[in-house]
Amino acid sequence: MKTWIEAFSIIDFISVGILLTAVTLNAFKSIESYVKAYTINSWLLSSLIAVVAVLVGETHLYVAALLTLATKGILIPLFLRRIVRQMRVTHEVVPYISNSLSLAISGILVAVVYASLKEGIFVTGFSRNVLQISIAVILISLFIMITRKKALTLVMGLLFMENGLFLAGFSLTFGMPTIIELGVLFDMLMGVIILGIFAVQIKRAFASADLDKLTVLKG
Amino acid sequence: MIVILIIPIVTAILCYVLKNARLTGYVSLAGTIALAVSAWPMITSSISAPISAMDGAFSMDALSGYIMGLVIFLSLASAIYSISYLEHELETGLTDLRGVRRYYGLLHLFIFTMLIVTMANNLAIMWIGIEATTIVSALLIGLGFHKRPLAVEAAWKYIILCTVGITFALLGTFITYYASTAVMGTEGALNWTVLKTVAPRLNPETMKLAFIFVLVGYGTKAGLAPVHNWLPDAHSQAPSPISALLSGILLNTAFYGIMRFVSIVGPSTGEAFTGNLLIIFGLISIGISAIFILVQENYKRLLAYSSIEHMGIISLGVGIGGPVGIYGALLHIMNHALSKPLMFFASGKIQSRFGSQNIASVKGVLTSMPLLGSLTLIGALSLSGTPPFNIFVSEFTVLKAGVDKGLWTVVALFLLFVVIVFYGVLSGFGKMLFGKPGDAVGSGTGHHHVPALSLGRVLGNGIMIIMALSVIIMGLRVPGFIDETIRTCVQVLGAK
Repeated sequence: MKTWIEAFSIIDFISVGILLTAVTLNAFKSIESYVKAYTINSWLLSSLIAVVAVLVGETHLYVAALLTLATKGILIPLFLRRIVRQMRVTHEVVPYISNSLSLAISGILVAVVYASLKEGIFVTGFSRNVLQISIAVILISLFIMITRKKALTLVMGLLFMENGLFLAGFSLTFGMPTIIELGVLFDMLMGVIILGIFAVQIKRAFASADLDKLTVLKG
Repeated sequence: MIVILIIPIVTAILCYVLKNARLTGYVSLAGTIALAVSAWPMITSSISAPISAMDGAFSMDALSGYIMGLVIFLSLASAIYSISYLEHELETGLTDLRGVRRYYGLLHLFIFTMLIVTMANNLAIMWIGIEATTIVSALLIGLGFHKRPLAVEAAWKYIILCTVGITFALLGTFITYYASTAVMGTEGALNWTVLKTVAPRLNPETMKLAFIFVLVGYGTKAGLAPVHNWLPDAHSQAPSPISALLSGILLNTAFYGIMRFVSIVGPSTGEAFTGNLLIIFGLISIGISAIFILVQENYKRLLAYSSIEHMGIISLGVGIGGPVGIYGALLHIMNHALSKPLMFFASGKIQSRFGSQNIASVKGVLTSMPLLGSLTLIGALSLSGTPPFNIFVSEFTVLKAGVDKGLWTVVALFLLFVVIVFYGVLSGFGKMLFGKPGDAVGSGTGHHHVPALSLGRVLGNGIMIIMALSVIIMGLRVPGFIDETIRTCVQVLGAK
């Protein structure tokens, strides 16, 4: 199995998959597609951890893979779908800039990351590409967050960013101790639930989930 | 050690289960008193020698003890003040039983999360704690009480900005883990007690990167400019006792995280790197907040900007470094944690009396409410840094540290900004305190009735008087045991 993984550079394939699911956000028009992309992204992340677990043969990595799958792959997407249905939003994402421009900027971001981390200080074993990809995912999600209007899109951007961050952390350290992994995932889960609740509240209070309406408090 | 983590949880559940609004307030008070009583021996022993529990997962030294003492003191003050605050809200129909139960339940969860931050030995567990404080306090701002669109807006901004920010801190923590495992293997690689001993051997390049991420992350939470935008919204929209907790101690728990990192990163990269970054962000925070204080028309927002200013001063103190600088910063943490909650408590009362957060709608507080007015006056004088009040002492200590190091540009800018703040705060509150009551623009909402004297109100006023007294005492002379504690903390942080 190990030789098989190495021979076909499975790790690189999976991490490229993670990057691509993040890039697709630029093109999607409906929030449901975002949720689907996020689900795929999380499954890929969890399978990447599982593959590395096979490679280095550490039990706590299997646990981490399962935990990631359970929270990011199943619980959060289910919750998000419920929220989307509950909000009965128009399902449109409403970007501030056109999709093609947004796609182009994402491409530039990836290029910038590759150029600047080429001689990075972290080049170790399997993680050479993974780290660059994870930073690219973080940047793309930040970009998505600042260019989309709906409250839920911000939440999706944040979730993608956290996936990128997990990938970065994982590529650097082969994962944190399980108890910490558990705590971080728990925090994240609570955070998403509460953001979801607030998104519904915003919709109710301002009769719209557009964040342009949130301009009363300033100065 | 674990007992004091259980007490707030039990209190939270009790408060949520009880069906009597009045009783809930006293149960919450009893819970915080129990917490204070059981934590007291722990805090005193942690100051003389570090203690740990659960295989070193939790560990407390003097700095943890110091911050924890402040957390518990302010929780107590907040729990006391909450009783009269919520009674008033119930009377005026601004909230109902459900809101009260939810408020108290969340309040104690909030205390619980802050305690975790101060007790955690592991940097990642500390991160978990800080993120948990964001989640719980966002609920307190947005839902804890009564749902208003503005509160929802503030809470949304707060949770989005802080979660994004703090995610960067997690990345910084990961990078630290990477650097430390390279030196010493995975065993206890994130434990602060262990990291302290290997700090000089950590890779400086990696630690630089880690520190930048951590500073951005926890800096967002600590309200350092230019990522402070959530702070005025959250502080002005939260219920007053919660604003007091947010400003008085939540910002400090986040800054506590930065201080922990400074003492690890400093030996690795050299003090100049962390120091310069902190000085720059500190000065930016003081400068930006000074301008906003000057033009502010809403007194709760004015107080919020003043929090940014004081966090800037704390950051400046730690950045200048040396025993004097860090002493000043730590003393400032305490002084700010006394004066600012006092002001938020007072402004809560002013707001419920005048029904507005606008400076222009409030006039003559001193004549119409002499006690509250004088307390506000003491708080405002202290916040603006007037001698002989407490904040002047710590600001002066930070200034002296800067002069000792010969950082003349920093000192000059600091003085300039502090003078602007002095004028801004005093003119803002001066307009509210003096003048004839009733002259105010848009006032006269009619409910100028004097509320009946109840136990809750007496307690609420009592705690404000105690805080005002300690503001004055701390200004005249720093009491011996506090002085000792801070000196030990300075040693813990390894200032030479």
